[in-house]
Amino acid sequence: MDLTGSQRIEAPRDEVWRALNDPEVLRQCIPGCQELTQASPTEFTAKVVLKIGPMKATFAGSVTLSELEPPSGCVITGEGQGGVAGFAKGGAKVWLVEEEAATILNYEAQAKVGGKIAQLGARLIDSTAKKLAGEFFGAFGRAVAPQAAPEADEAAAQ
Amino acid sequence: MFPFTYHRPADLDAARGLVAANEEAKLLAGGQTLIATLKQRLAGPSDLVDLAGVPGLAGVSRGGDALVIGAMTRHADVAAAPLVREALPALAELAELIGDPAVRNRGTIGGSVANNDPSADYPAACLGLAATIVTDRRRIAAGDFFLGLFETALEPDEIILSVAFPVGGAAAYEKFPNPASRYAMAGSFVWRGEGAVRVAITGAGQEGVFRWSEAEAALAGDFTPRALEGLALDGDAMIADIHGSGAYRAHLAGVMTKRAVARIVGQG
Repeated sequence: MDLTGSQRIEAPRDEVWRALNDPEVLRQCIPGCQELTQASPTEFTAKVVLKIGPMKATFAGSVTLSELEPPSGCVITGEGQGGVAGFAKGGAKVWLVEEEAATILNYEAQAKVGGKIAQLGARLIDSTAKKLAGEFFGAFGRAVAPQAAPEADEAAAQ
Repeated sequence: MFPFTYHRPADLDAARGLVAANEEAKLLAGGQTLIATLKQRLAGPSDLVDLAGVPGLAGVSRGGDALVIGAMTRHADVAAAPLVREALPALAELAELIGDPAVRNRGTIGGSVANNDPSADYPAACLGLAATIVTDRRRIAAGDFFLGLFETALEPDEIILSVAFPVGGAAAYEKFPNPASRYAMAGSFVWRGEGAVRVAITGAGQEGVFRWSEAEAALAGDFTPRALEGLALDGDAMIADIHGSGAYRAHLAGVMTKRAVARIVGQG
Protein backbone atom coordinates (compact mmCIF):
# COMPACT_ATOMS: atom_id res chain seq x y z
CA MET A 1 0.00 0.00 0.00
CA ASP A 2 1.26 3.46 -0.90
CA LEU A 3 0.30 6.76 0.61
CA THR A 4 1.15 10.12 -0.78
CA GLY A 5 0.30 13.54 0.50
CA SER A 6 1.50 17.01 1.09
CA GLN A 7 1.03 19.61 3.69
CA ARG A 8 1.78 23.30 4.07
CA ILE A 9 3.56 24.25 7.27
CA GLU A 10 3.82 27.91 8.24
CA ALA A 11 7.49 27.81 9.18
CA PRO A 12 10.83 28.20 7.38
CA ARG A 13 12.33 25.08 5.87
CA ASP A 14 15.34 24.97 8.22
CA GLU A 15 13.01 24.90 11.19
CA VAL A 16 10.88 22.12 9.67
CA TRP A 17 14.01 20.14 8.93
CA ARG A 18 15.28 20.47 12.51
CA ALA A 19 11.93 19.31 13.87
CA LEU A 20 11.99 16.30 11.57
CA ASN A 21 15.24 15.24 13.22
CA ASP A 22 14.18 16.01 16.76
CA PRO A 23 13.28 12.88 18.74
CA GLU A 24 11.05 14.82 21.12
CA VAL A 25 9.00 16.26 18.26
CA LEU A 26 8.78 12.85 16.60
CA ARG A 27 7.68 11.21 19.85
CA GLN A 28 4.88 13.72 20.26
CA CYS A 29 3.72 13.33 16.68
CA ILE A 30 3.90 9.59 16.03
CA PRO A 31 0.40 8.33 16.91
CA GLY A 32 0.54 6.05 19.95
CA CYS A 33 4.28 6.59 20.53
CA GLN A 34 5.17 5.85 24.14
CA GLU A 35 8.94 6.04 23.90
CA LEU A 36 11.44 7.22 21.33
CA THR A 37 15.11 7.04 22.16
CA GLN A 38 17.92 8.26 19.99
CA ALA A 39 20.57 5.58 19.49
CA SER A 40 22.66 7.53 17.00
CA PRO A 41 22.13 10.70 14.95
CA THR A 42 20.10 8.69 12.45
CA GLU A 43 18.72 5.80 14.50
CA PHE A 44 15.97 5.68 17.06
CA THR A 45 14.27 2.92 18.99
CA ALA A 46 10.57 3.27 19.58
CA LYS A 47 7.65 1.77 21.40
CA VAL A 48 4.31 2.43 19.75
CA VAL A 49 0.84 1.36 20.80
CA LEU A 50 -1.28 0.68 17.73
CA LYS A 51 -5.01 0.77 18.25
CA ILE A 52 -7.43 -0.29 15.53
CA GLY A 53 -10.92 -0.48 16.95
CA PRO A 54 -10.97 -3.27 19.50
CA MET A 55 -7.39 -4.30 18.77
CA LYS A 56 -4.54 -2.86 20.74
CA ALA A 57 -0.97 -4.02 20.28
CA THR A 58 2.37 -2.66 21.40
CA PHE A 59 5.07 -2.60 18.77
CA ALA A 60 8.73 -2.32 19.69
CA GLY A 61 11.00 -1.34 16.86
CA SER A 62 13.41 0.98 15.23
CA VAL A 63 13.26 4.13 13.15
CA THR A 64 16.10 5.04 10.80
CA LEU A 65 16.75 8.20 8.81
CA SER A 66 18.70 7.77 5.59
CA GLU A 67 19.43 9.50 2.29
CA LEU A 68 19.79 12.69 4.28
CA GLU A 69 19.86 15.84 2.21
CA PRO A 70 19.58 18.65 4.72
CA PRO A 71 17.46 20.66 4.67
CA SER A 72 15.45 19.34 1.75
CA GLY A 73 14.63 15.74 2.50
CA CYS A 74 15.31 12.26 3.77
CA VAL A 75 13.93 8.76 3.89
CA ILE A 76 12.41 7.53 7.15
CA THR A 77 12.10 3.79 7.61
CA GLY A 78 10.73 1.93 10.52
CA GLU A 79 9.87 -1.56 11.55
CA GLY A 80 8.40 -3.07 14.61
CA GLN A 81 7.45 -6.37 16.18
CA GLY A 82 4.10 -6.58 17.89
CA GLY A 83 4.59 -10.02 19.40
CA VAL A 84 1.66 -12.28 18.71
CA ALA A 85 -0.10 -9.47 16.85
CA GLY A 86 2.40 -9.49 13.98
CA PHE A 87 4.79 -7.03 12.51
CA ALA A 88 4.67 -3.70 10.80
CA LYS A 89 7.21 -1.99 8.62
CA GLY A 90 7.15 1.02 6.48
CA GLY A 91 9.04 3.86 4.97
CA ALA A 92 8.42 7.37 3.87
CA LYS A 93 10.32 9.62 1.52
CA VAL A 94 9.88 13.14 2.77
CA TRP A 95 10.93 16.24 0.92
CA LEU A 96 10.54 19.85 1.89
CA VAL A 97 9.93 22.63 -0.60
CA GLU A 98 10.18 26.28 0.29
CA GLU A 99 7.22 28.43 -0.54
CA GLU A 100 7.91 32.01 0.48
CA ALA A 101 8.07 31.95 4.30
CA ALA A 102 6.32 28.60 4.53
CA THR A 103 7.31 25.03 3.74
CA ILE A 104 5.49 22.38 1.79
CA LEU A 105 6.10 18.95 3.24
CA ASN A 106 5.57 16.17 0.70
CA TYR A 107 5.57 12.50 1.53
CA GLU A 108 5.42 9.19 -0.22
CA ALA A 109 4.98 6.35 2.21
CA GLN A 110 4.67 2.60 2.01
CA ALA A 111 3.42 0.35 4.78
CA LYS A 112 3.40 -3.39 5.22
CA VAL A 113 1.69 -5.24 7.98
CA GLY A 114 1.90 -8.97 8.54
CA GLY A 115 0.80 -11.61 10.96
CA LYS A 116 -2.45 -11.91 12.79
CA ILE A 117 -3.25 -8.24 12.91
CA ALA A 118 -3.04 -8.17 9.11
CA GLN A 119 -5.27 -11.22 8.67
CA LEU A 120 -7.97 -9.99 10.98
CA GLY A 121 -7.63 -6.36 10.20
CA ALA A 122 -6.99 -6.70 6.45
CA ARG A 123 -10.04 -4.68 5.50
CA LEU A 124 -8.88 -1.90 7.82
CA ILE A 125 -5.15 -1.65 7.26
CA ASP A 126 -5.27 0.83 4.38
CA SER A 127 -7.77 3.12 6.03
CA THR A 128 -5.88 2.96 9.31
CA ALA A 129 -2.51 3.66 7.71
CA LYS A 130 -3.95 6.65 5.91
CA LYS A 131 -5.48 7.92 9.11
CA LEU A 132 -2.24 7.46 11.06
CA ALA A 133 -0.21 9.22 8.36
CA GLY A 134 -2.69 12.09 8.45
CA GLU A 135 -2.48 12.26 12.25
CA PHE A 136 1.31 12.23 12.19
CA PHE A 137 1.73 14.98 9.62
CA GLY A 138 -1.13 16.98 11.16
CA ALA A 139 0.48 16.84 14.60
CA PHE A 140 3.87 17.58 13.07
CA GLY A 141 2.53 20.69 11.38
CA ARG A 142 1.03 21.88 14.67
CA ALA A 143 4.23 21.14 16.60
CA VAL A 144 6.40 23.14 14.19
CA ALA A 145 4.00 26.01 13.60
CA PRO A 146 1.68 26.07 16.62
CA GLN A 147 -0.19 29.21 15.60
CA ALA A 148 -1.63 27.57 12.49
CA ALA A 149 -3.31 24.20 12.77
CA PRO A 150 -3.56 22.86 9.25
CA GLU A 151 -4.88 19.36 8.80
CA ALA A 152 -3.17 17.14 6.30
CA ASP A 153 -4.87 18.69 3.31
CA GLU A 154 -4.21 15.97 0.85
CA ALA A 155 -3.71 12.34 1.66
CA ALA A 156 -4.57 9.80 -0.95
CA ALA A 157 -3.99 6.07 -1.00
CA GLN A 158 -2.91 4.75 -4.35
CA MET B 1 -6.53 -14.79 25.82
CA PHE B 2 -4.49 -12.77 28.22
CA PRO B 3 -5.74 -12.90 31.80
CA PHE B 4 -8.25 -10.28 32.92
CA THR B 5 -10.58 -9.71 35.83
CA TYR B 6 -14.24 -10.24 35.04
CA HIS B 7 -16.88 -8.06 36.72
CA ARG B 8 -20.62 -8.31 36.49
CA PRO B 9 -21.95 -5.21 38.23
CA ALA B 10 -25.59 -5.25 39.34
CA ASP B 11 -26.30 -1.60 38.58
CA LEU B 12 -25.17 1.27 36.41
CA ASP B 13 -23.31 3.16 39.13
CA ALA B 14 -21.18 0.13 39.91
CA ALA B 15 -20.42 -0.37 36.21
CA ARG B 16 -19.48 3.25 35.79
CA GLY B 17 -17.26 3.12 38.88
CA LEU B 18 -15.38 0.12 37.53
CA VAL B 19 -14.61 1.61 34.11
CA ALA B 20 -13.85 5.04 35.53
CA ALA B 21 -11.38 3.59 38.03
CA ASN B 22 -9.20 1.87 35.43
CA GLU B 23 -8.35 3.11 31.98
CA GLU B 24 -7.36 -0.41 30.89
CA ALA B 25 -10.86 -1.70 31.67
CA LYS B 26 -13.27 -2.43 28.83
CA LEU B 27 -17.03 -2.57 28.81
CA LEU B 28 -18.50 -5.84 27.57
CA ALA B 29 -21.88 -5.76 25.81
CA GLY B 30 -22.56 -8.68 23.45
CA GLY B 31 -18.89 -9.39 22.94
CA GLN B 32 -19.16 -10.34 19.28
CA THR B 33 -16.17 -8.22 18.36
CA LEU B 34 -14.39 -7.89 21.68
CA ILE B 35 -14.32 -11.57 22.67
CA ALA B 36 -13.04 -12.62 19.24
CA THR B 37 -10.31 -10.00 19.57
CA LEU B 38 -9.37 -11.21 23.05
CA LYS B 39 -9.21 -14.81 21.87
CA GLN B 40 -6.68 -13.77 19.23
CA ARG B 41 -4.71 -11.93 21.92
CA LEU B 42 -5.04 -8.75 19.93
CA ALA B 43 -6.11 -6.84 23.00
CA GLY B 44 -5.34 -7.31 26.67
CA PRO B 45 -7.62 -5.28 28.88
CA SER B 46 -7.03 -5.59 32.63
CA ASP B 47 -10.74 -5.79 33.45
CA LEU B 48 -13.93 -6.65 31.62
CA VAL B 49 -17.06 -4.97 32.93
CA ASP B 50 -20.02 -7.01 31.71
CA LEU B 51 -23.20 -4.98 31.33
CA ALA B 52 -25.42 -8.06 31.18
CA GLY B 53 -26.31 -7.78 34.88
CA VAL B 54 -27.32 -4.12 34.75
CA PRO B 55 -31.11 -3.96 34.78
CA GLY B 56 -33.13 -1.88 32.34
CA LEU B 57 -30.67 -1.83 29.45
CA ALA B 58 -32.48 -4.30 27.18
CA GLY B 59 -35.83 -4.00 25.47
CA VAL B 60 -37.82 -1.92 23.03
CA SER B 61 -40.33 0.73 24.01
CA ARG B 62 -42.23 3.55 22.43
CA GLY B 63 -41.61 6.97 23.92
CA GLY B 64 -43.67 9.66 22.21
CA ASP B 65 -42.51 10.00 18.61
CA ALA B 66 -39.51 7.77 19.11
CA LEU B 67 -38.78 4.12 19.26
CA VAL B 68 -36.35 3.57 22.12
CA ILE B 69 -34.10 0.52 21.91
CA GLY B 70 -32.12 -0.37 25.01
CA ALA B 71 -28.37 -0.61 24.50
CA MET B 72 -28.20 -4.30 25.47
CA THR B 73 -31.01 -5.35 23.12
CA ARG B 74 -29.80 -8.20 20.87
CA HIS B 75 -30.04 -7.86 17.10
CA ALA B 76 -32.40 -10.86 16.92
CA ASP B 77 -34.74 -9.21 19.43
CA VAL B 78 -34.80 -5.97 17.45
CA ALA B 79 -35.54 -7.96 14.28
CA ALA B 80 -38.42 -9.81 15.95
CA ALA B 81 -39.94 -7.01 18.06
CA PRO B 82 -43.50 -6.22 16.91
CA LEU B 83 -43.01 -2.59 17.95
CA VAL B 84 -40.02 -2.26 15.61
CA ARG B 85 -41.61 -4.18 12.74
CA GLU B 86 -44.64 -1.95 12.90
CA ALA B 87 -43.04 1.46 13.49
CA LEU B 88 -39.72 1.10 11.64
CA PRO B 89 -39.77 -2.05 9.50
CA ALA B 90 -36.53 -1.03 7.76
CA LEU B 91 -34.75 -1.16 11.11
CA ALA B 92 -36.09 -4.65 11.85
CA GLU B 93 -34.91 -5.81 8.43
CA LEU B 94 -31.49 -4.30 8.97
CA ALA B 95 -31.15 -6.14 12.28
CA GLU B 96 -32.10 -9.37 10.56
CA LEU B 97 -29.25 -8.94 8.05
CA ILE B 98 -26.47 -8.46 10.62
CA GLY B 99 -23.80 -11.18 10.75
CA ASP B 100 -24.88 -14.75 11.39
CA PRO B 101 -27.35 -16.24 13.91
CA ALA B 102 -24.72 -16.35 16.66
CA VAL B 103 -23.91 -12.68 16.20
CA ARG B 104 -27.60 -11.75 16.05
CA ASN B 105 -28.40 -13.63 19.23
CA ARG B 106 -25.49 -12.22 21.23
CA GLY B 107 -24.55 -8.91 19.64
CA THR B 108 -26.23 -5.74 20.88
CA ILE B 109 -27.14 -2.40 19.35
CA GLY B 110 -25.19 -0.49 21.99
CA GLY B 111 -22.07 -2.56 21.36
CA SER B 112 -22.32 -2.09 17.61
CA VAL B 113 -22.82 1.64 17.84
CA ALA B 114 -20.03 2.11 20.41
CA ASN B 115 -17.59 0.08 18.30
CA ASN B 116 -18.42 2.05 15.14
CA ASP B 117 -16.92 -0.51 12.80
CA PRO B 118 -16.78 1.13 9.34
CA SER B 119 -18.74 -1.81 7.91
CA ALA B 120 -21.35 -2.22 10.66
CA ASP B 121 -25.03 -1.87 9.79
CA TYR B 122 -26.55 -0.01 12.75
CA PRO B 123 -24.53 3.20 12.27
CA ALA B 124 -26.22 3.61 8.86
CA ALA B 125 -29.67 3.36 10.46
CA CYS B 126 -28.66 5.81 13.19
CA LEU B 127 -27.54 8.43 10.66
CA GLY B 128 -30.35 7.69 8.20
CA LEU B 129 -33.06 7.97 10.82
CA ALA B 130 -31.36 10.81 12.73
CA ALA B 131 -31.32 8.78 15.92
CA THR B 132 -30.21 10.03 19.30
CA ILE B 133 -27.68 8.06 21.31
CA VAL B 134 -28.63 8.30 24.98
CA THR B 135 -25.79 7.76 27.45
CA ASP B 136 -25.45 7.83 31.22
CA ARG B 137 -24.68 11.56 31.03
CA ARG B 138 -26.11 13.12 27.85
CA ARG B 139 -27.98 12.74 24.58
CA ILE B 140 -25.88 12.77 21.40
CA ALA B 141 -27.33 13.25 17.92
CA ALA B 142 -26.13 10.50 15.55
CA GLY B 143 -24.64 13.18 13.29
CA ASP B 144 -22.33 14.23 16.14
CA PHE B 145 -21.68 10.73 17.41
CA PHE B 146 -19.78 8.89 14.65
CA LEU B 147 -16.41 10.60 14.31
CA GLY B 148 -14.44 8.29 12.03
CA LEU B 149 -12.91 4.86 11.86
CA PHE B 150 -13.93 3.21 15.18
CA GLU B 151 -14.20 6.64 16.73
CA THR B 152 -17.21 8.04 18.50
CA ALA B 153 -18.03 10.99 20.72
CA LEU B 154 -18.11 8.67 23.75
CA GLU B 155 -15.83 9.34 26.70
CA PRO B 156 -13.78 6.28 27.73
CA ASP B 157 -16.04 5.58 30.72
CA GLU B 158 -19.32 6.69 29.15
CA ILE B 159 -22.05 4.06 28.90
CA ILE B 160 -24.75 3.98 26.20
CA LEU B 161 -28.19 3.39 27.71
CA SER B 162 -30.35 3.38 24.60
CA VAL B 163 -30.74 4.55 21.03
CA ALA B 164 -33.87 6.57 20.23
CA PHE B 165 -35.11 6.46 16.62
CA PRO B 166 -37.70 9.02 15.51
CA VAL B 167 -40.72 7.32 13.98
CA GLY B 168 -42.21 8.51 10.70
CA GLY B 169 -41.40 8.71 7.02
CA ALA B 170 -40.45 5.80 4.83
CA ALA B 171 -37.13 3.99 4.90
CA ALA B 172 -35.26 1.09 3.37
CA TYR B 173 -31.86 -0.50 3.87
CA GLU B 174 -30.00 -2.35 1.16
CA LYS B 175 -26.61 -3.90 1.59
CA PHE B 176 -24.19 -6.03 -0.34
CA PRO B 177 -22.79 -8.35 2.30
CA ASN B 178 -19.38 -9.90 2.23
CA PRO B 179 -20.28 -13.55 1.64
CA ALA B 180 -18.10 -14.78 4.52
CA SER B 181 -18.55 -12.25 7.30
CA ARG B 182 -21.84 -10.64 6.22
CA TYR B 183 -20.25 -7.29 6.92
CA ALA B 184 -21.47 -4.68 4.47
CA MET B 185 -19.20 -4.25 1.45
CA ALA B 186 -21.50 -1.31 0.97
CA GLY B 187 -24.83 -0.57 2.57
CA SER B 188 -27.24 2.29 2.03
CA PHE B 189 -29.93 3.41 4.42
CA VAL B 190 -32.37 5.77 2.73
CA TRP B 191 -35.05 7.72 4.57
CA ARG B 192 -37.71 9.92 3.08
CA GLY B 193 -39.82 12.26 5.19
CA GLU B 194 -41.81 15.44 4.59
CA GLY B 195 -39.64 17.36 2.12
CA ALA B 196 -36.45 15.73 3.34
CA VAL B 197 -34.26 12.81 2.31
CA ARG B 198 -31.35 11.21 4.11
CA VAL B 199 -28.89 8.73 2.63
CA ALA B 200 -26.39 7.07 4.97
CA ILE B 201 -23.65 4.86 3.53
CA THR B 202 -21.79 2.22 5.53
CA GLY B 203 -19.11 -0.32 4.61
CA ALA B 204 -17.56 1.93 2.01
CA GLY B 205 -16.09 5.12 3.47
CA GLN B 206 -12.60 5.11 4.93
CA GLU B 207 -13.86 7.26 7.77
CA GLY B 208 -16.77 4.93 8.46
CA VAL B 209 -20.43 5.71 8.03
CA PHE B 210 -21.32 9.00 6.27
CA ARG B 211 -24.19 10.94 4.71
CA TRP B 212 -24.09 11.09 0.93
CA SER B 213 -25.21 14.69 0.54
CA GLU B 214 -25.12 14.78 -3.30
CA ALA B 215 -27.51 11.84 -3.44
CA GLU B 216 -29.75 13.49 -0.84
CA ALA B 217 -29.92 16.68 -2.88
CA ALA B 218 -30.71 14.80 -6.09
CA LEU B 219 -33.39 12.70 -4.40
CA ALA B 220 -34.97 15.71 -2.70
CA GLY B 221 -35.88 17.02 -6.15
CA ASP B 222 -36.81 13.73 -7.77
CA PHE B 223 -37.22 10.69 -5.54
CA THR B 224 -36.51 8.00 -8.14
CA PRO B 225 -33.53 5.71 -8.78
CA ARG B 226 -33.03 7.61 -12.04
CA ALA B 227 -32.23 10.80 -10.14
CA LEU B 228 -29.02 9.11 -9.02
CA GLU B 229 -27.76 8.46 -12.56
CA GLY B 230 -24.42 10.12 -13.11
CA LEU B 231 -23.75 10.61 -9.39
CA ALA B 232 -20.68 8.85 -8.08
CA LEU B 233 -18.78 8.74 -4.85
CA ASP B 234 -15.03 9.31 -4.89
CA GLY B 235 -13.35 5.89 -5.08
CA ASP B 236 -10.19 7.27 -3.46
CA ALA B 237 -12.15 8.04 -0.28
CA MET B 238 -13.54 4.50 -0.07
CA ILE B 239 -12.12 1.46 1.71
CA ALA B 240 -9.79 -0.61 -0.49
CA ASP B 241 -8.81 -4.08 0.69
CA ILE B 242 -8.51 -7.68 -0.45
CA HIS B 243 -12.31 -7.84 -0.82
CA GLY B 244 -12.69 -4.95 -3.21
CA SER B 245 -11.20 -1.73 -4.48
CA GLY B 246 -12.34 1.75 -3.58
CA ALA B 247 -13.88 2.23 -7.02
CA TYR B 248 -15.83 -1.00 -6.62
CA ARG B 249 -17.23 0.08 -3.28
CA ALA B 250 -18.09 3.54 -4.61
CA HIS B 251 -20.06 1.86 -7.40
CA LEU B 252 -21.72 -0.61 -5.02
CA ALA B 253 -22.84 2.19 -2.71
CA GLY B 254 -24.61 3.81 -5.66
CA VAL B 255 -26.32 0.57 -6.64
CA MET B 256 -27.46 -0.10 -3.06
CA THR B 257 -28.84 3.43 -2.82
CA LYS B 258 -30.83 3.00 -6.04
CA ARG B 259 -32.24 -0.28 -4.76
CA ALA B 260 -33.25 1.28 -1.46
CA VAL B 261 -34.95 4.17 -3.27
CA ALA B 262 -36.76 1.74 -5.58
CA ARG B 263 -38.07 -0.17 -2.56
CA ILE B 264 -39.38 2.97 -0.90
CA VAL B 265 -41.07 4.06 -4.14
CA GLY B 266 -42.55 0.56 -4.44
CA GLN B 267 -43.95 0.76 -0.90
CA GLY B 268 -45.48 4.17 -1.75
